[in-house]
Amino acid sequence: MKRERQLGIIYSAPMGLWLTIFFLIPISIIVIYSFLKKGLYGGVEWQFTLKAYQEMFNPAFLKVLWRTLWVSVVATAITLLLALPCGYAMARSRHQIFWLALIIVPFWTNSLIRIYAWIAILSSEGFINELLLSLGIIKESLSLIYNQQAVITVLVYINIPFAILPLFTTIDKFDFQLLEAARDLGATKRKAIFKVLLPSIRSGIITALIFTFIPIFGAYTTPLLVGGKDSYMIGNIIVDQVTKTRNWPLASAFSLIITLLSTLGVIWILVSGMQDKAKGVVK
Amino acid sequence: MRKLSLLLLVGITFLLTSCPKEEKVLHLYNWTYYTPEALIEQFEETYGIKVVIDYFASNEDMFAKLKAGAKGYDLVFPSQDYVEIMIHEKMVLPIDHEKIPNLTYISPLVLEKATYDPTMEWSVPYYMGAAGIAVNRKRVSDYPRDWSIFSTKKLANRMSMLDDLREVIGDALAYLGYSVNSVDKKELEEAKRLINQEWKPNLVKFDAEGFAKAFASGEFLVVQGYAEAIYEELDTELWENVDFFLPPSGGPMYLDSMVIPKGANNTEAAHLFINFIHTPEVYAQFLDRFHFPSSVNTAAAPYMTTEPFYHVEDLENYELKRDLGENLTLYNTLWETIRYNE
Amino acid sequence: MSKKRPKLKPTTLVELPKETVGVYRPPRQQVFRDHRRFGFSNIVLVLVILFLFMPLFVVITYSFNASKGMRWTGFSLQWYYKLFFESRQLWRAFLNSFIIAITSSVVATILGSLAAIGIKWYRFKSRSYIQVISFLPMVLPEVIIGISMLIFFSAVKIPLGMFSIFVAHTTFNLPFVLLLVSARLDEFDFSIIEAARDLGATERQSLTKVVIPSIAPALLSSMLMAITMSLEDFVITFFVAGPGSTTLPLYVYSMIRYGVSPVVNALSLVLVLGIMVIALTFRRFLKTIAASS
Repeated sequence: MKRERQLGIIYSAPMGLWLTIFFLIPISIIVIYSFLKKGLYGGVEWQFTLKAYQEMFNPAFLKVLWRTLWVSVVATAITLLLALPCGYAMARSRHQIFWLALIIVPFWTNSLIRIYAWIAILSSEGFINELLLSLGIIKESLSLIYNQQAVITVLVYINIPFAILPLFTTIDKFDFQLLEAARDLGATKRKAIFKVLLPSIRSGIITALIFTFIPIFGAYTTPLLVGGKDSYMIGNIIVDQVTKTRNWPLASAFSLIITLLSTLGVIWILVSGMQDKAKGVVK
Repeated sequence: MRKLSLLLLVGITFLLTSCPKEEKVLHLYNWTYYTPEALIEQFEETYGIKVVIDYFASNEDMFAKLKAGAKGYDLVFPSQDYVEIMIHEKMVLPIDHEKIPNLTYISPLVLEKATYDPTMEWSVPYYMGAAGIAVNRKRVSDYPRDWSIFSTKKLANRMSMLDDLREVIGDALAYLGYSVNSVDKKELEEAKRLINQEWKPNLVKFDAEGFAKAFASGEFLVVQGYAEAIYEELDTELWENVDFFLPPSGGPMYLDSMVIPKGANNTEAAHLFINFIHTPEVYAQFLDRFHFPSSVNTAAAPYMTTEPFYHVEDLENYELKRDLGENLTLYNTLWETIRYNE
Repeated sequence: MSKKRPKLKPTTLVELPKETVGVYRPPRQQVFRDHRRFGFSNIVLVLVILFLFMPLFVVITYSFNASKGMRWTGFSLQWYYKLFFESRQLWRAFLNSFIIAITSSVVATILGSLAAIGIKWYRFKSRSYIQVISFLPMVLPEVIIGISMLIFFSAVKIPLGMFSIFVAHTTFNLPFVLLLVSARLDEFDFSIIEAARDLGATERQSLTKVVIPSIAPALLSSMLMAITMSLEDFVITFFVAGPGSTTLPLYVYSMIRYGVSPVVNALSLVLVLGIMVIALTFRRFLKTIAASS
C-alpha cells in the first residue's frame, strides 16, 4: 500500500510541479494584483485596496455578464446536442480514424481565417444569401451576420471538435452489447440510449461540457468579429481592461471571480458524479 | 521510460533555446507591413544587419506587453499618446542626433504639434495621418461629406465606425466644435448623446478588425477607417468606386514614431535604421507603398511616384490625440455606455 | 510471430508494434458495430462535417481567385506564387509554430497522461491539489494567463522567446490531456493491472504493455487536440512571445487586417494538403492504433 502511494506521486509529480511553477506562481501574482491600486499606465501600485471589487458592481458589466451567460448556455447546448450523435456515429463506425481526421483537419487552418470565411458565407452578398436568392426561397437578403445568432453559430463551429473528441473517446469504450441487452429486455431504442448509453458515458459528457462551456464563456475574437454593435462578452471586457482602459486590478478581479465560480461549478459536477457512482446510478 | 522522457525534455529545451545567435540583428516591433519588405531587404543588404520583425495590432496591445516586462526589441513604433506615456514611464532610451543626420528632413510643423517631445529627444516621427470615411460610390449617392454621414437613416445597418474610443469620441467632439482631447464633462456628455442617439442606431457595428474587408465585399457601404487598409483590400481597378475623405470638421490625428525601448540590445542598428528610413529616396518608397502624403519628411515628396489618398492640407483641422492621464476614466465610462449597453 | 520484445520509442508513446507477444488487448465486440444502417447519428455526423468544412471550401476557393477581394474574377495561382517566393516572414512564423506545436504537445501528452494514471488509480496526499490546479488553466481567461506568465517570466528572468511560448503552450494543454486520458481511464478495468502484476510484470512493464496500448486512442486524441490548440493560440502567445519568435497565428492575426489574406488562404490549403500527405504516409501506423482501441 505504501508503495502504491509513492507510485501515485511519482506519476503525478512532473505535471504537478510543472503547473505549480509555471501556472500557480504566475496566477498568484494576479490574485495579489486584484487587491492593489491600479497604475495610471497599466500595472499596479503597491497599495492595498478593494476598489477593483467595488468597480465590478457596475450595471453595465452585469448586463454584459448576463448576455455572456445566455449566449454560452445556448451555444454549449447546441454544441453538445450535435456532438453526441457525432461521437456515437464515429464510435460505431469502422472508419474511426477517417472521421477523426475529418473532424480535425479543418482546425489546422488558423481560426481567424475561418472566422473571416464565415463572414464571407453569412454576409448579405455571401454564399448562403446568394444561394437562397437564386433558388427563389427568399426575395431579399437575410441579415445573418453581425448579430447574436452569428456569434452563436461561429462559437458552435469553433468548439464542436472539442466536444466530439471526448464523447467519441468514451463512447468508443462503451460496451454496445449492453444496448442490445436492453433492447432484448424490451426497451425501445430511445429508451436504451437514454437509460443505458447516456448514463455510462457520463464522464465523457461532463468533459465535453467543460471543454465547450468554458472557452465559449471566455470567448473574445468571435463576438468581436461576427458580433454586432451590442455583442460584447465578458472576455472582451477583460481584454479591454488590460489594454484599453489599463485597469489591471479590475481585470484580475474579474478573472478571479470567474475562476472561483467555474471551479465551484466543476466541483459540483464532479461531486454529483461521484455520488451517482456511489449510489450505483450507472445501471 | 522516465529517463527517456527526461532526455526528450532536455532535447526539446535545447531545440527551443538554441536559436543561432547571429552577430548583428535588429529587432523591430512594428505594425504589420508598416515598413515595406523591400525596404527591409535594402537595409539588410546595405548594412549587413539582419532584421527580425514582430508585429502588434494596436498601441494598447504593444504597451501592455512592454509594460509587463517584455524586453529585447531594438526599435518600436508607437503612436504619439503612447510615446508620451512611454517617455513619462521612462521606458525609452534617448535618441543620439549625431548618428541620424537625416533628422534635418523632419518637418518642423510636425514637431510643433508633438509638444511632448518637440526636440526629438526620445522619439523620431515616422508618419502622421488620420482615419477618414470611405463611401461606396456605386451604391451610395447624395451624402454629406462629414461625420454627419453617420446620422443618415437610409444607410442604417450598412455603416461602421472604428472600435476605438478615442477615435469615435474624438470625431464627435470635433464635429461639435470641441477639442478631441476635451475633458470637459459637459462637452463629453454632448458627444455621448450625439453618438448614442444619432450615430449608433445607424451603425451595424464598431469594427477595427474587419471594416476594410466588409467594405470591399460591399457589406458595409460607409466605414470610418484608415485609407491604406481600405484600398489594400480592393483591386486597383475598383479604386474609383471609393470616395475616401477626411471630414472638414476635423478629428483626431495620429503621429506614429520610432522609439528605442529600454532593454534594446542593438541601439546602434536602431539609429542606423532611423537614419535609413528618413533618407528621402527611401522614405518616398514607403509613402508610395501606402499612397500616403508626405506629412513628416520634407524632402521625400519629389521622389514619390504615386498620388496619395489624401493630402497634408486635409489634416489642417486635425488634432493629435494626447495622453489623458487620469482623465481617461471619463472617456472609459462614456465608452461603456456606448459599447456595453443594448 | 517474432519473439523480439517490442521496443517503445520515446517520441512515439502511442506507437504499437504490428505483431506483439503479450500485449494486452481489451475485449472488443465487433458484432454490434452496425455500419450498414444509415441512421440518425450518421446523418448528423455528415452534416456536422459539412458544417466544419464549409469555411474551408470558401478559403480554398478564394486562394485561387485572381482578385484579392471576395468577388470571383477568375482563376489564378498568384497567391501561391507569393506564398512560396515572397513570404519569408510567414514561413519563419510557420516554422516557429510547428516546432512549438510538436514539442509542447509531446511534453503535455507525456506529463498529462502520467498524471492521469497517478490521479485515477492512486490515493496520495497532494492528489486533490493536483486535480484542482490542473483544471484552472482551462478556466482562466487567456489574457490573464498571458499577462501573468509574462510578468512571471520577466520576474525570474526567463528571456521571452521560443522557450517561453513552449512553456505556456504546454501549460494550457495539460488540463485537456489530463481530462481526455482520465475519461478513457474511467472505463479501464484496474483488475487487469493487478492481473499483470500477479503474473510478475513490473510497474514499467504493466505501463508499457498494458496501460499505454489500451489508452492509445486517448493519447492520440489528446496529442491531436494539443497540437491543434497550440497552432491556434493567439492571446497567450502574444504576451509570452519575444523578439523573433512570432508564431503563425500572431503573424496571420496582424496581416489579415491589411488585405494580404489571399496568401494566408493559399497557405491554409498547402497546410491541409501537407497534413493529409503525412497522414497517408503514416496510415499504417494510425491503423494500428485504431485496431488497438
